[in-house]
Amino acid sequence: MNLKSRVGSILAGVLLLIGAYTVGPAASAQAPAASAPAASAPAPAAVPSAQPAPANGASLPAGAPAASAPSAPAAAPSDASAADFKTLDQEVQGMKKDVIDLNKDLFVLEEELLFPANTQVAVYVSMDVGAFFALDSVTLKIDNKEVKNYLYTAREADALLKGGVQQLYLGNLKVGKHELVAFFSGKGPVERDYRRGATLKFDKGVGAKYLELKISDKVAKHQPEFLIKDWE
Amino acid sequence: MRKVLALCGVILGASWIGQAPADETPPLIGKDAPDFVLKTNSGANLRLSEFRGQVVLVNFWARWAGDTHREMRALDKINTTYQRAGLVVLGVSVDEDLRRSQEFADSMKVSYPIMFDTGSDIGRDYQLAKMPVTFLIDRSGVVRFAHIGFQRGDDRMYLEQIRELLRE
Repeated sequence: MNLKSRVGSILAGVLLLIGAYTVGPAASAQAPAASAPAASAPAPAAVPSAQPAPANGASLPAGAPAASAPSAPAAAPSDASAADFKTLDQEVQGMKKDVIDLNKDLFVLEEELLFPANTQVAVYVSMDVGAFFALDSVTLKIDNKEVKNYLYTAREADALLKGGVQQLYLGNLKVGKHELVAFFSGKGPVERDYRRGATLKFDKGVGAKYLELKISDKVAKHQPEFLIKDWE
Repeated sequence: MRKVLALCGVILGASWIGQAPADETPPLIGKDAPDFVLKTNSGANLRLSEFRGQVVLVNFWARWAGDTHREMRALDKINTTYQRAGLVVLGVSVDEDLRRSQEFADSMKVSYPIMFDTGSDIGRDYQLAKMPVTFLIDRSGVVRFAHIGFQRGDDRMYLEQIRELLRE
């Protein structure tokens, strides 16, 4: 509810600003004092200075302060409008910040709602050295159901080799025993097509579960090694 | 005389009907191009979003749809001319028969990468109802131009759009 009211207030503010932008310049050139005589004290001076002919004077209300302050300096209205624009700009910047904050809150809320901590399972991929294996794709199965099939571009594989860790999958699982199978495809030693699988049986507890698919080199055997690590 | 006029009418009508699909505006224009990653004929995987910052022409084709030979030759010429200016041409085959599609692509010997989509996700994302379809994506990843079908002279239309996007 709190979030809704914030969204509502921001939207209302944006609409008001849009209204001020579209109505403001045109209306202030006509007779701004008519709508808000108290708030626009410096603005009426612009009417006589911008339009010296008295023809437009009829449109001004009799009680408007414009009549009482025609001798204000000419520079004042431009300063005032500049100040108005400055405050308006500050308001817009403030609203932008609010929108960004709101977006962040919504993202966190979405994560919490879609992947609550007690059912959350996240699978990450990392690579170490990679002299014996060039990664092409990973297929992920949980409880014999394919949940992800990811093709790696050269740039992505390179990023993994440089130490990057990729979140391959984020999903939900019930508490209990589960099986994760990962199939790795790519080029193995001597540029041969290589496909290997790794399996992990794990217990999903009450908290979130984090698993890591780790590809490393087994130097003694001149072969790549595929491990699934369970981060408690 | 009447017969001749009737025949002319029929020909004009048929040509108008034939042109009609080309005038249909695909609904993706002005929207972010859906990202995809596919395997190319060279074996590498390419992801569309990795070409952000360059103008990308994506041509969805199938062996059975339209004059694929002529279109691929035209796109090959465009690719060789504008590659250095920052244009990326990607061909995406939507043929279900991967082997025959690969053979066809290899026989064409084009200079741009040909990717193979045997699933239906990308076609759905790009709302492909007819073939071939060509999309032009600007440097910020927004679809700016789309064209269904290929007829003689369409490559000139592509060139105009490409030049405009490269100038931006």
